[in-house]
Amino acid sequence: MNVRNLGTQILLSALVIGGIYALLYQFDWMKIFNVEETASKTEQRLGDLYYELFEMEYGEVEDEKIYNVVDSILTRICEPNQINRDRIKLHVFNSDEVNAFALPDDHLVVFSGLILESENPEQVAGVISHEVAHIELNHVMKKLVQEVGMSVLVGSTTGNNGYGATQEIAHILSSSAFSRELEEEADRKAVEYLVKAKINPGELADFFFIIANEEVEGMEFFSWISTHPVSEERAEYIVEESQDYSFEIDTLISWSTWVQLQSDIKALD
Amino acid sequence: MPVFFKSALSYEPTDHELEKASNSYLMSLVAVMAGLPIPIVNVLATVGFFFAVRKGTPFVKWHATQALLSQLSLAIFNSIGFWWTVGIVFNGELPTNEYFTYLFTLVIVNLTEFIATIYSAVKTRKGVHVQWWVYGELTNRLVKT
Repeated sequence: MNVRNLGTQILLSALVIGGIYALLYQFDWMKIFNVEETASKTEQRLGDLYYELFEMEYGEVEDEKIYNVVDSILTRICEPNQINRDRIKLHVFNSDEVNAFALPDDHLVVFSGLILESENPEQVAGVISHEVAHIELNHVMKKLVQEVGMSVLVGSTTGNNGYGATQEIAHILSSSAFSRELEEEADRKAVEYLVKAKINPGELADFFFIIANEEVEGMEFFSWISTHPVSEERAEYIVEESQDYSFEIDTLISWSTWVQLQSDIKALD
Repeated sequence: MPVFFKSALSYEPTDHELEKASNSYLMSLVAVMAGLPIPIVNVLATVGFFFAVRKGTPFVKWHATQALLSQLSLAIFNSIGFWWTVGIVFNGELPTNEYFTYLFTLVIVNLTEFIATIYSAVKTRKGVHVQWWVYGELTNRLVKT
C-alpha cells in the first residue's frame, strides 16, 4: 500500500477516526454522567415546586365526586392509548378561569371553570387529551428550556433565582402557549387519543369554535383559549385529522353524571 | 491525521520566509488561546492570514495553504458538535450516547490537531518542510514549491 497516495491517506484517516468513535461508543456515557437520573430529579423538583405554587394560589377541589368524574375521563383516555394513568398526577383546581395545563413531572391541572364552560364531557376530554399529549411528547420541559434556559430552571429548584424568576416560570406554565409546531403536534396526538378512546374528536374543534365565537366579557377568564390561538386552520386540521380514522363512539359519562358534576362545581362557591 | 513527512525543497527559504510560514500555523492557535471557541473563528483567522500571504513566496504560500486546509476540515467537525450542543441546550432534549461519543472523538481530534499545529510551527521555523498526512498531499496539488 502506497501511503503517499492521497486516496489511501484519506481512507486510513477515516478508519482511524471511525475506530476512535467505535471504541468510545462502547462506554455508556449516559450512565457515567447520570444524565437521565439528574434530568428526572430536576423535573420532579420543578413539578413539585410549581404544583405547590398553584395549589397555594387556587386551592385544590376537595370534593371527591368532582375529582372522580374528571379522573374517569382521564382514565378513559389513558387506557386504550397505553398511557400509564398512575404516572399522571391529576389536580382539579377551584377557579373561574377556563384553563387546563401540564406541569413538569407529569402533573395535569384542570380548572373547574373549564368544566363549567364546556357544553359536554367530550369537550373536557378533548382539552385533557391535548394536555396529556403535551405530557407524553415531553413538550413541557422543552418549552421551559426554550423560554427560560436550563440554568434558570435548575436555579429555581435550588431557590437561587428569587421570586421574579419563579413567578415568570409559573406564568409560562399556566398561560403561555407552546410554539405553533408543538400545539399542532399535541392537537394531532389528542385526536389519536380520542379516537382510540372512542370519544368524538370533533368536540375538541367545537370547543375552539364555541369559545371563540362567544361574546364574553372579561376574556381574561379564558386563559386556555386565549393562549391557544383559535383559528379556522387549527379547527380544520383537527377535523381533517379525525377523517383519517374510522372510529366508533361510546358514551363517555352519562348525561346525569355530567349535569351533577357541573352542579357540584357551581356549589363550590 | 497529522502523520508527517519531511520533504526536500527545491530551494532554501530565507529566515523571513520561515517565520511567515511558521506564523500560518500559529494563526489558527491564536484564536483558540484568545478564548474564542466558536469553530468559525479559527478558520477566519487562518483565512485572513492566507489572503495576507497569498502573493508571498511558494514556501510561505504552501504552509499557509496546509494550515488553512487542516482548519477547514476541523471546522466542519467542530461545527457539527457546536450546533448539536446548541440544539440540546436550547431545545430541552436530553443528550444521547452518540452525542457524548462524538464530543469525545472531537476532543481527541482537536487535541491531536493542536499538538500537530504547534509541532509544525516549531519545525517550519527551523526550516523543516513538514507535510501533514492528507493535507500535505492536498496542498501539493494546489501549490507548487
